[in-house]
Amino acid sequence: MTSRLKRKLGDIGVDPSSARANENFCLIGTPLPPLEKSRDTGEFVPLWKQEVRDEKGRRRLHGAFTGGFSAGYFNTVGSKEGWTPQTFVSSRADRAKKKAARPEDFMDDEDLQDIRDSRKIVDTTDEMDFTTEKQAESQNDTDADPLTATLQSAMLPPSKDSIGARILKKMGWRVGQGIGPRISLKQRRLQDLRASSMTDSALSTNAPDTALEEDSDEANKHTYAPRDTPVLVVERKDNSHGLGYQPGMSLNDSLGTKGGGGTSTAPNISSGFGLGALNDADEDDLDVYDGGSVNTRSRLAYDATDDHDGERFALGSSNLRSASGHNLPSSGKYRDGTAVLSGFVLSGKPIMEDRWYPLPDITPGWKPDPKRVWSQIQSQEQIPDSNKENFKGDPTTVLPHGKWKMSGFSADERGSILGETPLPSAPRSVFDYMSQKDRDRLKNIAASLHSPSTAGISDKQPSPTLGPIPATPRIPRTDPRIAHAALSGFKPFATDPVKQARYTAYLQSQADSSSTVTLEPLPHQSISEFNSEMEEYAQSAIVFKPMSGAMAGRFTTAAVVEHGPKVIEGLHTPEFNDGPSQDNAASSDAENKAKDEKELSPKENAARMGMYGPLTRESVPWQPARLLCKRFGVKDPNPEPKTEDPTTQSSSTSYSQDPSSSASDSALASGTSPADYGIVSTTDGGSTGISTGGPRDLANVGLGDEDDTQGRDTLTYERPSVDVFKAIFASDDEDSSDEEGDEGASGDKNPNTINSSTAPVAAAPSSVPSAVIDNQPVDPSTFKPTFVRREARTTITNADSDKKEKKEKKEKKKEKRKAIVSFLDDETGESLNLVVEKPQKKRKKEKVKEPKRTVVQSKGSTTMDDDDEMWVEKPAPPSVSAPTDVKMPSTAASITSEAPRGRKRAVDYL
Amino acid sequence: MAPSRGPLPLARTLHVTLDGHKGPVNVARYAKGSAKYILTGGQDRTVRLWNASLGTSIKVFNAHGYEVLSISVAHDNAKFASSGGDRSIFVWDVTSGTTTRRLPGHMGKIHVVEFNEDASVLASGSFDSTVRLWDLRAQSRAPIQILEEAKDAIQTIHIDSTTITTGSVDGYVRAYDLRKGELRSDYIGHPVTAVVPTQDSQTLLVTSLDSHIRLIDTTNGKMLNSFTGHTNSSYRCRACFGHSEATVVCGDENGMVWAWDLLDAKLLQPNPPPKVHSKVITWTEHHPSDAGEMITSSADGTCKVWRHPT
Repeated sequence: MTSRLKRKLGDIGVDPSSARANENFCLIGTPLPPLEKSRDTGEFVPLWKQEVRDEKGRRRLHGAFTGGFSAGYFNTVGSKEGWTPQTFVSSRADRAKKKAARPEDFMDDEDLQDIRDSRKIVDTTDEMDFTTEKQAESQNDTDADPLTATLQSAMLPPSKDSIGARILKKMGWRVGQGIGPRISLKQRRLQDLRASSMTDSALSTNAPDTALEEDSDEANKHTYAPRDTPVLVVERKDNSHGLGYQPGMSLNDSLGTKGGGGTSTAPNISSGFGLGALNDADEDDLDVYDGGSVNTRSRLAYDATDDHDGERFALGSSNLRSASGHNLPSSGKYRDGTAVLSGFVLSGKPIMEDRWYPLPDITPGWKPDPKRVWSQIQSQEQIPDSNKENFKGDPTTVLPHGKWKMSGFSADERGSILGETPLPSAPRSVFDYMSQKDRDRLKNIAASLHSPSTAGISDKQPSPTLGPIPATPRIPRTDPRIAHAALSGFKPFATDPVKQARYTAYLQSQADSSSTVTLEPLPHQSISEFNSEMEEYAQSAIVFKPMSGAMAGRFTTAAVVEHGPKVIEGLHTPEFNDGPSQDNAASSDAENKAKDEKELSPKENAARMGMYGPLTRESVPWQPARLLCKRFGVKDPNPEPKTEDPTTQSSSTSYSQDPSSSASDSALASGTSPADYGIVSTTDGGSTGISTGGPRDLANVGLGDEDDTQGRDTLTYERPSVDVFKAIFASDDEDSSDEEGDEGASGDKNPNTINSSTAPVAAAPSSVPSAVIDNQPVDPSTFKPTFVRREARTTITNADSDKKEKKEKKEKKKEKRKAIVSFLDDETGESLNLVVEKPQKKRKKEKVKEPKRTVVQSKGSTTMDDDDEMWVEKPAPPSVSAPTDVKMPSTAASITSEAPRGRKRAVDYL
Repeated sequence: MAPSRGPLPLARTLHVTLDGHKGPVNVARYAKGSAKYILTGGQDRTVRLWNASLGTSIKVFNAHGYEVLSISVAHDNAKFASSGGDRSIFVWDVTSGTTTRRLPGHMGKIHVVEFNEDASVLASGSFDSTVRLWDLRAQSRAPIQILEEAKDAIQTIHIDSTTITTGSVDGYVRAYDLRKGELRSDYIGHPVTAVVPTQDSQTLLVTSLDSHIRLIDTTNGKMLNSFTGHTNSSYRCRACFGHSEATVVCGDENGMVWAWDLLDAKLLQPNPPPKVHSKVITWTEHHPSDAGEMITSSADGTCKVWRHPT
């Protein structure tokens, strides 16, 4: 940078040494390619960022918002105008040139690609060609002659061996050979023999042996490839018969005994009925699974022939095969000649055919009652010793499945009931450790407990105690505390008084260990039912005990526990004796209705009776929205309380707590102007009494109508108190006067008068406090601080006090200002304006027109009055009497009245 | 019955039949002023304007997406409000036939809308058991006030100069007195479907679903008269006063129009009245000034204008 430039920049205000100023805009060299290119192409791209492009890089798959028309145009149509129709060109002249049209001529590149793809697939599935392999092999063999090899390769298509075949060939395998190590001639012969006659080895070995010996010496010099394994041919099964079944097979056939004609030879027609002599052997009739012929031998997937060495070889020559083996011993074989699997024995018994029996005739009156059967079985199995007849007759002891669960049986108990052998590790109960004698004794005790009930019902139910194992009534324990709580809590069985009574009895017995309440099964109740009932009580005691602590108040308990419809277990048997029960239900419904009617409120009753009027009417205060009143052109029914309530009430409440703030609040509420407000603060002490009078007064502030009491107060009030007030509030007065001074700049204000006023005030401090105390306990506290200050001040010389007062004024002004601000916040502009105007006018009016009315009513007005008082009063406080006050010019009157006002108010409204 | 004594007989001669609605007609209201026109709202989601004397259809107001259940005409006939299953109130400009305002806010179908006297406030009562008071002067979309005292659907509202009277299915007639700042609720005991006060606002005609029409004294809630004989147990059938409030007229669920003497609650002749509609009569309204005219709307899809034979 040149120095000139630097200077220039410096003039402009740019720091020449900053990086900004030194920035260089020249580019030297070529920039490196952006890093993006080197980005991993396999990088994950979110789905919505992925793009599909065709091989030419054109974007495919446009969304509605990313392609639209242009996409279609650019991708497919090829021109803005769309498809251009081909102009007709006569092919007459070109006919000779024209080749035959192939389908490919009409394909676009995509279609061609498709075709290519599909071709590939065809190639992969092509069958391999073994014939060509031979040539390929021979080609390999003739490697020595390159010329022929090249010729061959040129003239013959390349070999299409499978990879396996190629590997095998590399390993030395040839087509037609078997796989495996090379074997001697003898072994090979053996293989052949075995293959031809699997079983009859002795016979077969004997004959060829001679041949073997002939050329053994020469042949033994060589090893041979093993015989080829025949390819498994599994025939398709395209019928729906079971495996091994031959259509038309007779029962005898299926049993394995040969029936009439199994002798047919050439096409092995499945034997059966219905094939006459004229019938040709159809394909359908050919026996697919027929194993009678030797062919099947080679068809087998595998053969477990134990009698041989486990080497199976199937030989290629069919005549050999056919020559071998019709004469297979059928002992260890299936009928079709295959060997029976090891470990299995052929059955000699005929196959049982399913037999269907007709349904028995059901007698018309029969009803399904499985319980009867169950009980029969149960009683037989489970208690052979106890008297079966009784047990059988007792249906209640047979519990349906659901109840078994409920009855609290353990699995072991149930098992023992059902006659199961107990598991070895089953836990033993206490009873198991008892001697038989003890057990008997316990039983007796239990029996004696229930003896009354059982005695009573013995004729109906002879042996309830001897029933199933849980025959002893068990009363579950409930924690006494819970029982106590549940006693006082919700009654879950309120719908069933009997049950509820029993429930409470149970609870009592549990709550009081000493209580004599004992529960016994109801006459018609079996022990198990009783037990489950007790369980239920215990459960419900836990469930329905009232909640404790904090949660208790948050919930209310339901009146009635709803029980679902009773589900009858077991098979459905229609009941015919429903009549009475339905009647009962109806009657209970009616009762409920009656109850409901009784529970109607008097109002509803009255409405029902048509006695409309006070009984059916209720009036509650309702606050219409202010805007609604405005729209309806109706005066707000209780506007002030509602609209100004927040401020006034809060002021009144806060008053007792914090006098100074409350004073300002009340001033705000009354809507005094800033000047007024200042006055209010000066009159704090006096006004506290007033303000404590009650919210109503505050509410009425500023309403001329409500000021009726105003004049009365001043009239009734006497002078002396004024003096006293002065004495007490000298300081306040001064303050107020100071403030008034600001405000009362309009009116003239003399320091002298102020001083004089302070002096008299100081004179009579004693009486006022007492009055104040009378009014409200809170007041004195508010008074005191100011009071003390004032006293101190009064002692000071007038001049000093003046000065101080002035200072104070200023301070107070500031305070006022603050207060004013808040006031503005609180109140709407309207009200503010109103208030500002109101007090003065009102006051004047009142004073002029109605001397009786003085300032008791509202703070705003009182404060105004106070201001005036302060000013004027001071010159003549002692001389002023009540009547004179009234007549006096407004200021004086108001002063005198003010103090009394404050007091009076408090007294009055207390 | 001598003509000098007793109320004027009911207009029972069919003057015209207004049939244009495709389904039940839920409401039929006279226009204000001389009441030459009728507005009907039906299940077919339209509001139709008719000439009462000629019986011609003047205009069809289409905007509702659901059935129209209530119509209220402003005092100057310049606009009207309608409501129904849409859960919002439509305020219409009559001449242009468009909605000037749609006031959503209710949670259920709005059974009733009602203007106040100068159409500055619109009250709507809904299935959601609230009454919402809408300010039509301001543009604000929020209601001025929501009256949530009712426990069940509001079926009817009447607004006079200082009182909002609502009838609810919970069996209460609630009178919100703006001047007194008081809510007076009268328990009727049966779902209240219509509330029609007399001109002097001293009495209230309350239709409830127990086939009773009651005349209630608004000052103390006492029942002055009970009118029975008709059948009304499941539909809103609005009863109204006859001419000069000397009679009580109500169409019932059997399609008959019943009339009673207001004072002695006696059924006027003919008794029983002829069946004039094939289905339930949903709305009955007497002409505000003409002694001999009355309209009924019915679920049979028609609205009929009745006059004295001339």
